[in-house]
Amino acid sequence: MAKAGRMEEGGVSKAPVPVGSNKGISVIDLVLRLVGIAGTLGAAIAMGTNEQTLPFFTRFVRFNAQYDDFTSFRLFVVVNAIVSAYFVLTIPLSIVHIMRSVARGTRILLIILDTIMLALLTAGASAAASIVYLAHNGNSSTNWLPVCQQYGDFCQGASGSLIGSFGGIVVLILTILLGAMALSRLAKRIV
Amino acid sequence: MEGDSTTINITETPKERKGKAPLLAAPPASSSIKPVVLKAPKGGYKRGLAIIDVVLRIAGIAAALGAAIAMASTEQTLPFFTQFFQFKAEFDDLPVFTFFVIANAITAAYLALSIPISIVCIVRPLLVAPRTILLFLDTVMVALTTSAAGGAASIVYLAHNGNSDANWPAICQQFNDFCQETSGAVVASFLTVVVLMVLVVLSAFSL
Repeated sequence: MAKAGRMEEGGVSKAPVPVGSNKGISVIDLVLRLVGIAGTLGAAIAMGTNEQTLPFFTRFVRFNAQYDDFTSFRLFVVVNAIVSAYFVLTIPLSIVHIMRSVARGTRILLIILDTIMLALLTAGASAAASIVYLAHNGNSSTNWLPVCQQYGDFCQGASGSLIGSFGGIVVLILTILLGAMALSRLAKRIV
Repeated sequence: MEGDSTTINITETPKERKGKAPLLAAPPASSSIKPVVLKAPKGGYKRGLAIIDVVLRIAGIAAALGAAIAMASTEQTLPFFTQFFQFKAEFDDLPVFTFFVIANAITAAYLALSIPISIVCIVRPLLVAPRTILLFLDTVMVALTTSAAGGAASIVYLAHNGNSDANWPAICQQFNDFCQETSGAVVASFLTVVVLMVLVVLSAFSL
């Protein structure tokens, strides 16, 4: 057959790869997206319900800490909600990729959207992380006092929700890598 | 007519057609038939994308290096001082800014080191392995740079506006120049992120 002998310009001849080999990648992709939904949704809910009221109060002021006292935490909740909605919406696309392995255009679209969501999620998560770090440690040069010494539970809740969000970041990096691997297998096949 | 469905025969005279055996998959070498492959060679647009890739990498080096240097060289000393303190703001007063400088320096170094791999992609546009490697590393760099930029951005926002609930004063009202330069560095870092994202998309299209 002419398959084994044809060399393309500037390329390397490769052995033909069976069509079904992208199915494993697509299944792992679907599982990762489900994990990502859990991570980001959990992070959004954990931060959104984060609130602590201190047991003492003065005549005029009640000492209360909520997530929307901090702009970064508000951004964090919004971004995590967006990314978890994105994961839910791309599950049908992922299922289509399992059923139909030769889907180059939609895989590229998925990689593009995953990259945008990765940047969004990482920006939100790191903004919240820097505020949590500041709340834990304070900063002597700028006279910012660490709030966690009074609001211990609030800080713990915020830190815990960060973990779910960073899990979502890892999931997005892995799905982009899987998409790239699937595309490279499609490219290696000799049509 | 010829029964083969994968080759199209051109420049064939009726004389040759009469004397020929029924066509198998491979045409005989002695005839003057010229089979035309249906699959066109895809080297053309991939090479163009690889050239754009190299150009963008060089632009990304400039942006990342600019961000790191701008942040590392900001320093502002206020003209008044008490007996014990001189009011001075530097980037390593805030750990997030230190992480910012380091992360942007790493990104600039990575972009410089990945230019040879990108040039390999120009020379051999149909190779798949270097593009996949570059796509994965670019993705990791997107995450790193965005985390540095996002963390520094939230601190810059805090420095501009303060936070009344946490009793954190807005320091930009005293340290004006410091705040302006750090804001500029954060913007340059976000530009690097955009460049890296475009690089990922380009690699995906070239695969």
